[in-house]
Amino acid sequence: MTRPCLARRMLWSWVGLVYAFMYLPVAVIALFSFNASKIVAFPLQGFTLDWYVKVLGDGRILGGLGVTFLVAIPTAIAATVLGAMAALALTRSKLKHPIAFAALLFLPFLVPKVILAVAQLIVLSEVGIGRGLTTIVIGQTLIILPFTTLVVASVLVRLDPRLEEAAADLGADGGQIFRRILFPLMKNGLTAAFFVAFVLSSSEYVVTSFVSGRTQPLSILVASDFRFDLSPSLDALAVLMVVANLAIVAVGELVRLAGRR
Amino acid sequence: MAATADRGFRLAAPVATVLIVGCVLPLAVLFVYSFFRVDFVAIVHDPSFKNYVRVANSPTYRGLIGQAILSGGIVAAVTAVIGYPVAWAIAKRVVFAKSACLTLLLIPLYTGDLVRIFAWRVVLGAEGVVNSFLMWTGLVREPIRALLFSPFATHVVLTYDYLPFMVMGLWLAFESLDDRLLEAARDLGARETAIFLRIVLPLTSPGLVAGALMVFVLVVGDHLTPQLVGGSSGITVISAINDLFGTAFDWPLGSAIASSLLLILGLMVTVAALAVARSTWGRAVLGGE
Repeated sequence: MTRPCLARRMLWSWVGLVYAFMYLPVAVIALFSFNASKIVAFPLQGFTLDWYVKVLGDGRILGGLGVTFLVAIPTAIAATVLGAMAALALTRSKLKHPIAFAALLFLPFLVPKVILAVAQLIVLSEVGIGRGLTTIVIGQTLIILPFTTLVVASVLVRLDPRLEEAAADLGADGGQIFRRILFPLMKNGLTAAFFVAFVLSSSEYVVTSFVSGRTQPLSILVASDFRFDLSPSLDALAVLMVVANLAIVAVGELVRLAGRR
Repeated sequence: MAATADRGFRLAAPVATVLIVGCVLPLAVLFVYSFFRVDFVAIVHDPSFKNYVRVANSPTYRGLIGQAILSGGIVAAVTAVIGYPVAWAIAKRVVFAKSACLTLLLIPLYTGDLVRIFAWRVVLGAEGVVNSFLMWTGLVREPIRALLFSPFATHVVLTYDYLPFMVMGLWLAFESLDDRLLEAARDLGARETAIFLRIVLPLTSPGLVAGALMVFVLVVGDHLTPQLVGGSSGITVISAINDLFGTAFDWPLGSAIASSLLLILGLMVTVAALAVARSTWGRAVLGGE
């Protein structure tokens, strides 16, 4: 029995190493955001909260945060509603060309973001549409749609279709089945999809940078700072963004798990 | 049946319309633009294959496309090797908190491209975590400069960025792998290596291909990582397209490079998808569900 034991230990060491690899950068950023030195390098100089105070008092960053919310809320709503419709179409009805529809859905994921963005840029300039809030919301909704569809579909495939059949047999029409059976059962999936979409929207950079024009969300604002300047206040900002995202994802995940029981 | 078909259409049609207007139409326009040319600051609608000839005859653009495909292949292979045991452990060895394990793996994804790249610059920099550690242990006297701003750094960060996609693909395949097949093989006297090569690997191949495809496509499309941690090696085909649409102002040439890249990617994705669907194990897995 020594060999399986060794194999198991090796497996868990490997899994542990991979998780450590995934969290190493996050941990490093967190460490330096509390470091009392302007230079992001070892050795550590002592504990401070100054960088957080500085970031939270920065009017430009708070303004960008406001734009991020203005973008992320409509984007998350649109991506969730469209994702739910797509997931329902794929899992709860007969489509003539299900594979073609699925391929169309995942096209924004498969096409490199820059190519999609420049293509949209051409259309915007041809038609003469100015870049701003609306174009960011549309651009982001398209690339987030595959993710929200998957989240809602993962909930729908677990639901027993016999519930709907029973309701139909008892005389409920399509609208009633949706309102009284499907919707309550998929509500948690919708919430989770909304949170995932919100987080993806607030951190999206590539497409946003092409279609944003002068409306600049936080992700665009900090991009220029990130490029050449590794300052601890950016560390602090990154930690705040990670913590906020984690909180949003955790809430979404808890809601989804609560609904599965 | 007619009712569900009708409902399916009513649900799918608006989504399909949004995707066609927002995604397919712009790509079609991009394709059309690839036949135009630029005259100083104006785009001349005078169709020709000149841009494609330029791309095909340019060692730079050919090289960049080849390099993107090579990088995609390397990172797909590396994430497969790293991710395979992890996906197996999560699917088959974790009893409770399975979804927490998966979520934990996905959380770094939610930090955003730039935050992650920024973090890696701190980890790999001359005064970064890895170099400080190596100097502290006395293994090296001078910081290893090549850790950051090198192809090595680019591939480390790309592997980091897209590993979760590989693990997700593999995890789905492992979840649908029936343990009784392995028990039966063991009862019939198969060795562990034979079980792995003849049962586990073939049955998880669709997940492997799906994960590899996602990673491949995402790596080819990533220009921020090479640009921000790759140093002088950071020029990619995507950043070339980016430049042609920005400072260099040659939208038609940029469109031609983008269309060529999309065509190559589309071919590779289609071939891989068909290979999975056609093969006997692919049919067994897909048909068995």
